Parts: sequence; C-alpha cells; structure tokens
Amino acid sequence: MKRKTINTVLTHAILIITLVAVAFPMYYAFVMATHTHQDAYAFPPILRPGNQLWNNLKEAWVRVNMGRLLTNSSIIAVVVAFGKIVFSILAAFAFTHFKFRGNWFLFPLCMVTQMMPLPVRVIPLYRMMANWNWLNTYRALTIPYFASTTGIILFRQFYLTVPEELADAARVDGATPMKYLWHILLPLSWTNVAALLVIEFVYMWNEYLWPNIATTAADMRVAQIGLRMLYTSERGAAEWHIIMAGLLIIMLPPLIVLIIFRRQFAQGIAMQTTK
Amino acid sequence: MNRFPNHRFLPYGLVLPSVAVIFIFLIIPFGQAIYLSFHRVSPFGALRNVGWRNYVEMFASSEYLFSFRNTMIFSVLVIGVGLTIALCIALLTTQKIRGAAFYQIAFIWTYAMSPIIAGVMWSLIFDPSIGIMARLISSATGFSINYFTDPVAAFLLVTAASVWVMLGYNICFFVAGLQNVPHELKEAAWIDGATTWQTFWVVTFPMLSPTTAFLVFVNTVYAFFQSFGMIDVVTQGGPNRATEFLIYKIYRDGFGRMQEGQAAAQSVFLFVLIAVVGAVQIYTSTRKAVYHR
Amino acid sequence: MYRMRKSSLFFVALALILTLSGIAAAQQPVTVEFWHSMTGSRLNVLNKVVEDFNALNPLMQIEPVLVGTYEECLTRFRAAYQANQEPGIVQIYEVGTQTMHDSGMIIPAYQIPERLGETWDFGQYIRPIVQYYSKDGNLWSWPFASSTAMIYYNADHFRAAGLDPNKPPTTWEEMYEYGLKLVQAGVVKNALSFGWPDWMFENALALHDLEYANMGNGRSGRPTEVSWPNEFTDELLSIWAKMAEDDVWIYGGAEYNANAAFQSGEITFLMQSTSSLDGILTTVGDSFEVRTTFLPRLANPKYARGNSLIGGNSLYVSNRVSNDELRVIFEFFKYLSRTDVSVYWHKNTGYFPATNAAVKALMDEGWFTQSPNHLTAFLQILSGKTDTDASAGMRMGPFAQAREWVRTALERIANGEDQRAALEYSAQQINALLAEYNEFFE
Repeated sequence: MKRKTINTVLTHAILIITLVAVAFPMYYAFVMATHTHQDAYAFPPILRPGNQLWNNLKEAWVRVNMGRLLTNSSIIAVVVAFGKIVFSILAAFAFTHFKFRGNWFLFPLCMVTQMMPLPVRVIPLYRMMANWNWLNTYRALTIPYFASTTGIILFRQFYLTVPEELADAARVDGATPMKYLWHILLPLSWTNVAALLVIEFVYMWNEYLWPNIATTAADMRVAQIGLRMLYTSERGAAEWHIIMAGLLIIMLPPLIVLIIFRRQFAQGIAMQTTK
Repeated sequence: MNRFPNHRFLPYGLVLPSVAVIFIFLIIPFGQAIYLSFHRVSPFGALRNVGWRNYVEMFASSEYLFSFRNTMIFSVLVIGVGLTIALCIALLTTQKIRGAAFYQIAFIWTYAMSPIIAGVMWSLIFDPSIGIMARLISSATGFSINYFTDPVAAFLLVTAASVWVMLGYNICFFVAGLQNVPHELKEAAWIDGATTWQTFWVVTFPMLSPTTAFLVFVNTVYAFFQSFGMIDVVTQGGPNRATEFLIYKIYRDGFGRMQEGQAAAQSVFLFVLIAVVGAVQIYTSTRKAVYHR
Repeated sequence: MYRMRKSSLFFVALALILTLSGIAAAQQPVTVEFWHSMTGSRLNVLNKVVEDFNALNPLMQIEPVLVGTYEECLTRFRAAYQANQEPGIVQIYEVGTQTMHDSGMIIPAYQIPERLGETWDFGQYIRPIVQYYSKDGNLWSWPFASSTAMIYYNADHFRAAGLDPNKPPTTWEEMYEYGLKLVQAGVVKNALSFGWPDWMFENALALHDLEYANMGNGRSGRPTEVSWPNEFTDELLSIWAKMAEDDVWIYGGAEYNANAAFQSGEITFLMQSTSSLDGILTTVGDSFEVRTTFLPRLANPKYARGNSLIGGNSLYVSNRVSNDELRVIFEFFKYLSRTDVSVYWHKNTGYFPATNAAVKALMDEGWFTQSPNHLTAFLQILSGKTDTDASAGMRMGPFAQAREWVRTALERIANGEDQRAALEYSAQQINALLAEYNEFFE
C-alpha cells in the first residue's frame, strides 16, 4: 500500500516536471511578448511577464497586416478541411461498400499521396498553376490539397466496423447507396469528421512552402509567412517581443480548434490505431 | 464487401474526385519531375538531355551524401528520442492515477504548433546573445554555442524543436494504443509472476507495435518533409550545410541554385526512399493485425 | 439620302463610342508591379518613395511587392517569366547580374529611353556604379540601391582597451594586433566578425586589384575558372586563420547575422555593408559610440591598390512590358534618380546616393560633416580605382552558388581547417559549376 502511494506521488511528480518542461518554450515566448525591446534583452533574463503585451500585439498586428493573414489562413484551412472530408468520405464509402474493378489499384494510389510531398513536385506544380493563371488565387491554395490519405484511411477503418446488416436493411428498404450514406452512415461518422477537421485544419494552417511559392500578392499571404516576415525582417537585432507577440496570435486558431474538438480528435485517433 | 451490387458505376464516381486530384496535382507533376531528372535545365528554362548523369553525379556528390547522412541522423534522433519520451509519458498518464485524463489533454497541444512556430520558439531559447539555453550551456561548460556558426548547435536546435513539436501527436497515439491493450493480458502476465518491466516488454510493447510502426512512419515523414518550414526559417540549411536535409537540398538546388534537373533526380530518389519506409510500415502493421486476430 | 443619314448617324455613334472609350482608357491607370527584397527598416523607406511617386500622377502607379530574399526574388522572376507572370520591374542583387544579362528576359536599361523616343544622361550616376552594371559601356540595369563594405567599430571598446579610437586599424596585421589587445584586455571575447563573409572575400581581392576569376574577371567573357587560391589568399587567409585560432575573428554567419553581436557590444569590429548603417545607428542608440572606417589591406606593398566592390542591387525591366507600362517605368526610374529622392533614400538607408547631383547636394548641405559615418564608404569607393576589371567587380553565372562555396571554405577555416585545402576544394566546386553553366551556351 505504501509503495503504491510513493509510486503515485512519483508519477505525478515526473508528469508535472515534464509538463512544465514541455510548456516552457511557450511560456518563455509569452513572457517575451509582454516586455519592451530593452527588457527582452535584459540580463539576467526576466522570466516574469511584463505589461507590454497589448502594445506588442498591436505592433505585430499592424506590421504584417495580421487581419488579412488570419482571414486567408482561415479560409484556406476551412475549405481544405471541408474538401478533404467530403472527398475522403466518398472514396472510403466506395472502398468499403462496393466491389469494383480497379479497387486493388486505386486504394494504394490514394495511399501514395503521403509519399509525394510538395517539395518533391513543387517546380512542375508551380508551372502548371502559372499556365492556368491560378497563381495568387485561393484555388491554387486549396484544390491541390483535396486528396487525403489520412481521411480515406480514417473513414475506411470506421466503415469496416459498421455492421453489414445496416446496409442490407437499407437496401431491402429500397434506399439508394447515396441515401444510405447520407441518412445512416454520415450521422454515425461525426466523431471521425470532427477528428479529421482538427487534423486537416491544423495541417493546412501550418502549411508554408506552397503558399509561399504560389502567392506573391501581399493580400494573398498566409499566417505562417507573416511569422517568417516578422522573424527575418530585423535579424540585426531581432525584436523578439514583436516576433513572439505575432507568434501568439498565429498559433491561436489551430490551438482553439484542437481544444474544442480534443475528445473527438482522441477518439478518432483511437479508432485509427485499432485494426 | 459488396453491399450494393446493382450500382456498377457509382463506386467509380465516388472515388473520382480523390483520384482526379491525385492524378492532376500529384502524379502529373511528379511525372514531370521524373522527366526533368534526365535533363539539365538552364536558368532560363531550356532543356538538355543528359541521360543518367544527374543520378550518377548525385550519388558521387559528397554534398549529397553528407545531406543524406545528416537526414538519417536527424530522423533517427527525432524518431528515437521523440518516441521514447512520448511512450514514457503515455505510460505514466495511462496509470491508474487521479487526473490521468487531464494529463493526456495537457500534453496534446504541441500538435497544434507548426514547425515554423516551434523553430522560432526554440531559436529564441538557443539565441546566442539572449537565449536561456545558450546562456545556461555557456555558464555550465564555458563553451558559447552559436547556432548561426556552429553546425552541432544548429543541428541540436532543429532536433529539439522537432521532437518537441511532434510530442503531442506521438503521446496521443501511444495513449490510444495503450488503452487498446486488453487488461486481461497484463493481468495474466502478472499472475505468471512477471515484473512490471517484463510485462511491458512481453505483453504491452508487442501489442503496441502497429501503433509504433505507424508513428515511425509519421515521424519519418515529418523528419523527411515537414521539417522544411523550420529549416527554411531558422537555419536555411546552414551552417556549413549541417541542416541541409534532403528535402531542403531539393528546394535549394531546384530554386536558389538553378539546378532543376539535379533537384528532380533527388526528388525521385527521395520518393523511392519514403515509399520503402511506407511499405515496411504497412507490412508490419498488417502482419501484427493478422497475428492477434 | 436616307441611307446617308443612317450611315452618318452610324459614324457619329461610332465616333462617340470611340471618344468615350478613349477617355475611359486614358483614365484607366497603368499599374506596374515592382518585385523587391527590401526588408526591415528599408521596407518603410522604399514604400514611402513609391507612395510619393504614385501620388504625383494617379494614372501612373507602381505596386511594390516584397517577394522575399534576394535569391527568392531572382528565382521567382525566372519562374514567373517562363509562366508569363512576371512583374514589370524586378530588383536583383549584384550576384544575379550575369544571369540577368544572359537571360534574354529583360530590356537593357540604356535602351529604355530609346524605345520611348526620349534621351537620358546615364553619365549622371556615380562612376563605380556605372562601371559595375555596364556591359560594353552601356548600363544594363537601373542604378538603385548600391552599397559597399566598410568597417564598423565600437569606440568605447577602444577606450576600454587603451586604444585610440581615432586610429582604427588600416591593415590586416593591425587588425590582428588590435583584436588581440581587445581580447587579452578582456573587453570582448571575440573582436571581429563579418557580415556577408563571401562578399568580404571578394572585396579583399578587389581591394588589392586582384581578379576573382579569369576572362577579365568575367567581364570580357564567361569565366571558366576562379583565380584563387593564390599567393595573396595564402597570405590573407593565414592571418584570418590565426585570428580565428586566437579568438580574434569569429565567424558570424551569412548576410546580416553578425550585426546582432556588434549591436549588443559583444564584438568590436564588424565588416558589413553600408546599407546596415542606419539600422545599426538606430538600434545602438546611445549605448556606445559607433564609428566607421575603410576596409583593411595587407601591409605587403607589392599588391596594387584596387577598390572595394559595389554591392546591393539594381532594377531590371521585363522585355514583355507594353509601351504604356514602359513609360510608367521610365517615369518611375527618372523619379528615383531625382536629387531629392536620392538624398532621402541615402539618408534613411545608408545606400549610396546614386547621382553626382545628389552627392553635391548632400555636400552643400553639410550632411557628411554632420554624419561622418555616411561618408566613410563613399570616400573609400571614390578614392579607389574604377578602370580595372578587378576593381570593377566580377561577373559569373553561378555566382550565388560560388558564394555559398566561399562561405563553406570560410566556415571551415574558422573551425581550424587548413586554409589552402579549404579554398582549393571550394575553388574546384565553383569551377565545375562554371563549366556546367557554360555548357548551356555551347
């Protein structure tokens, strides 16, 4: 009994220490964002928050036109998440409910997307977008992302666990496949939809290379590029207080999405690990 | 499997959107990359066929081999260190303790951070003039570390930031995996007189292997590809090319150094590399699944 | 009769439509995109200049776009041109000069007035700039933000180490000696760092009137090999290597990374572009006294006097712009060359005033006595040679990669590797790149 108590205390202690260690970079970033330029460079470093947070946030906001960046990133992240969810539900439905020729080849093809990341094909893709006059448009920033390996796996895994009788019953009742998908399967899938929403929103919000290449217009920039602009603009004497204020703003939206849907996210992941 | 046998064409319609996107935006550009890999491209877009020369020179180039080696070390560190820490934390948070659910949530959040955000945060910590870590190290060891100039420091910086940013995701998967390990199995092991340590290696760890294989794949993808933003913003591949990992080298060669053909050859090879890792992952996870069914 | 009336009506209508649409067309402003890489404090200065130009004539508009680093700007322009999406004006760093000349994508600057049936006096720009960007005696790009390298030093450190701030080092030997004193006196851990280390290597060669590459430093033809390592680099880099060993020289990273150490008082000497001057002065403020001086030479008298190199960037015009756009571009370029604009640009960035008239205006108003740090680099470059290939600056296609290789060599030397071997290796790599580039023109 005693041993068990010690173990519990020890477990808590280790967890709390790791938690603090993991949270430290974030805390340090936050503290920086609350100081003046001078205090940010103070020695020994000040680890208590100061009172400049609001000013720094405002400065960062104005300097990179943050409102526009956040709007762009939000539009792109939401549209891509939505597109990926729809496309992968349809594909997963086909892979689990139908027998069709080409199945053997199309499913692995969808898996391949994870292995052909952007940098590997970025130059031809750029040319293609330029030829289509798609540069500096939302189309270029969203449509190429619509295929999702993660999404197809996630929904496929789930649809395989749905009892066959459900589909049989629906068929006997005369429901078309699409009706069955819409009225029976989809309402069962909300957890997966939410999980995928988190995954894809976070992914897209954090995307950097392609938005950087596919856009030059200032009003098409996304949040990650804004952070880079803040970060590299004055490397001479990095204005850490402004950089970190900008960082706080930029990291917030995906964090909020994750916190809201954390349970669905965890459940979705649990589903993916059970085979 | 075939629950709606009377709809012959519908399944094609259902996969069409995904397949079309994959074909147009992945396969075609990648096909062009393969084509380019047999050419030299002038800075102004003219092509010259050079056969296998790009590939031959790639494997003979000491810069490429250096980049390859560093990418491997980086991946092994990110996977090894990252997964070990994540597994330890996941094991602790799945103990029967109060607040377990809180801890599980409290570690997730780094998942929402982008590689760039992680890179910027950690570059502050490692900043040569004001970074807390840089100062700690210099006061403890007398060495001042400067990631602008010191390859090892830059390498450590991106590794630390990468492990950190992947932590939330890894913990989340391990927690889910651990919760799927049937408790009866562990109890059976205990009754047989196994210690906690033995139980872990004999029961828990093998049961976790599909999760582990999946995470190894995801972390490999991270180390190979996703680290790009962090590198581009924080180190630009330097100093002395220490952080010029394969993916960043492709970008630099293809864009900045105006060697599109050579970059294309590297792309093709990198694809083959990651496809092998992916195949191993699929093989491992399916084999295990069959095994315990 | 009826017929005629109808047709005359038709003509009246047609004339009306034409006039109206003519008015509409005339009132449609012509906007030209301008891609640039002016980050940091320079960004606001540039935006102000463009805004003022746009305010002059609502029908002629320039739209500045910050595209990223110099390298990204060059790369993007090439890619965009191939896709028919390029801007009218692009700012290209000096490294891209040969590439742009070879590109077939631009209108050489000297042809712009001709095409519009106008004339322009290109002799009004200061000599070293004209020299640097000219091909066969004609300017190929529009002079804009030119700079050179100089030494920034911390006068307070001098005093603390018992050195006279009025007597900065003039040779590398002195630099070593001063640095050693500063380090040994415990004033600083390291005394000297370089911004743009690759460029400092180029500058050292040019300053001693030595060519970087063959074919007349790449100015009479595409070079096939670099001219170093040689006796001079042996002599110079042995000093650098010794300085690194004794902690006098610390490698400070690429571009502007070393500025932070100077601004926070960790080092005494910074070799950096003049374009950092205003940024450094603002950041340092009153915390210590910043002074500037000429780049050091080797004491060995056998090397001739050359010049420091022009750096920075100039403006190129796409050869696909329409005549209307070209007119806007020309007006904008003329505006940039105006004396008051040149003066404003110089005072707020540290880049050279590009025209002789601007220099005179600055002298007349006593600017250089008031801010002597703005004069240093200027005196340095005007007192050097401009008539040799070596001092005019080198030209090569794979210049950006060459710089990377020089940086690699310097990093290795700073880490204690043999200087000769490090340079030799980088030279081989650059020669291979030169051969590869030249293959495209066979």
